[in-house]
Amino acid sequence: MGSSSDTLAFLRSVRLFRTIEGPELGFLGDSLRERPLRRGQVLLREGDSGDEMFLVRSGSLVISKGVTGRVEQVLARVGPGDFFGEMALFDRSPRSATIQADSDTMLLVLDRAALDKLKDGSPRAAAAFFESLVLIFIERLRASGDLVAEVTRWGLEATGLDVENR
Amino acid sequence: MSDSATPRRARLELLVRRDDDHEGFELRQIGSGVAFIQSRPQRVSEGSFELAEVASRVDGQRSFILKNTATDRFLLLSAPERFLWEQMDGRTSLQQIATAYVLRYGEFDFDIIPHLIRKLQRAQLLTMTPTSRLRQALARHRRRPVAKMAEAALFALERINISSRNVQGVFGTLYRWGGFLLFTRSAVIVCLLLAALGFAAGVRLWPDADRVVSGFGKSPLMAILSVKVLFLLTVGAHQLVHGLALVHYGRRVREFGFTFLHGFVPTFYVDVTDIFMGSRKARVVTAVSGALVHLVLGSVWVLFALYMPLGSFWQAFAAASGMIQWQAFVVALYPFCFIEMDGYHVLVDMLGIPTLKHDAIAWAGSLLRGRIPRRFTRQEALFASYVLVSTISVAAFIAFNVWLIVHAS
Repeated sequence: MGSSSDTLAFLRSVRLFRTIEGPELGFLGDSLRERPLRRGQVLLREGDSGDEMFLVRSGSLVISKGVTGRVEQVLARVGPGDFFGEMALFDRSPRSATIQADSDTMLLVLDRAALDKLKDGSPRAAAAFFESLVLIFIERLRASGDLVAEVTRWGLEATGLDVENR
Repeated sequence: MSDSATPRRARLELLVRRDDDHEGFELRQIGSGVAFIQSRPQRVSEGSFELAEVASRVDGQRSFILKNTATDRFLLLSAPERFLWEQMDGRTSLQQIATAYVLRYGEFDFDIIPHLIRKLQRAQLLTMTPTSRLRQALARHRRRPVAKMAEAALFALERINISSRNVQGVFGTLYRWGGFLLFTRSAVIVCLLLAALGFAAGVRLWPDADRVVSGFGKSPLMAILSVKVLFLLTVGAHQLVHGLALVHYGRRVREFGFTFLHGFVPTFYVDVTDIFMGSRKARVVTAVSGALVHLVLGSVWVLFALYMPLGSFWQAFAAASGMIQWQAFVVALYPFCFIEMDGYHVLVDMLGIPTLKHDAIAWAGSLLRGRIPRRFTRQEALFASYVLVSTISVAAFIAFNVWLIVHAS
């Protein structure tokens, strides 16, 4: 487990927290807890309940969604500085994808209680956090659109379907 | 540079879990190309299609007509395409099909496979809306108001289509109520007799042609136009007989109707595509029987003209009607005029080259672009003959009609 100064240095390098000032960031750092995962370990499965978001301190994970049988489509691969699981943090809905460690991994966990404390204790820091979150959401939404287009293109190429001349 | 020239093939990243281990998995990147060659195409089930062979008498090659009996769509397949079609049983991957193709034909031109797959997927060979060169030219000049108006008018006319797909019963009834008589030996004899009498009448009238056409008086063009309108109705009879021929050979009349071909040629039509599944004799009789309507009507009109008072309006009208019917008979059965009429269909059926016009024009085009072979193959000689004879025939036809109108004026 790293020291609190190491954690603070790491959080400063994370885009999600880049606009949060030192003291508030220290406060947030204190609210995070570490969660180690060994290679292959499943952190959570599609449909599980939960209200935590995760920040990758080290290692890498695969986010996938079931397609058929034992086959799942890889939606994203996340590494140090990336975060995931934030949707359940806000709407408490079941997990939308399965997340599994691709290598030995260390995560930082932010739960709803810690987020509430940040909102109550430092509304300005909370606002900066949410703004960064929204910007990253927008990027992900665009990436989802690209993925849909790519999957559609894959389908057309794989089936040889000649849509233009139908 | 090459990236922009050749689009990257799409890839999917999949996570495949191992059976024996809850945590074990494997990540696999699957390119769309790999997926394509590993796909296992499956043809429609037995009973949902019919396959008929068309043998070429020019180069001995065989072609096949494939009909989807569920959608009534037709495809023309070459022998290699038929071979590939037979492989598409849902168990054999495209990679295996390609291997079988190489072993069978010794060729590595695999483009034939996706091309065939597209053809099979589309299966709209007979339902494509033709786009004429006139329409293409109008589209190019759409900015000009006149061209825009003309295009809009053609588009509106083209949309006029009065037709029915539920006509098999009507044609069946017509056939039972006397239509079957048209396909008897007696009908053939009557037809030949009328043709001979009509021809004899035409020969007798010919020396007095000037006086016959003078019956139109001062407005010969208007008279000829009215003859043309009357002629249009007989095109309906022509199509009706085609449909009766289908019933005679136990095939289905899929559609009968009226439309504006290419947006400006009013015409009746009947969908006789089901006859492709019949014998060659059935196809020839179906094609020729419709045209014979014009021979019979033309002969009757000329006989009528012979017995009308010389120089009268009705004699001129009958003679002009007879002439136009005979012309229609010749045009319908004469295969060398770049129009895919009945005679053309008989010719390509006999030759076993269903795409003769298209191939011959494409070949002539390549000649004009300077791709002249040192020596013609048998098929190229056929293409050359078709283009040459058709060009001369069309020129002669136009010259004859111009002469006729000038003479009448």
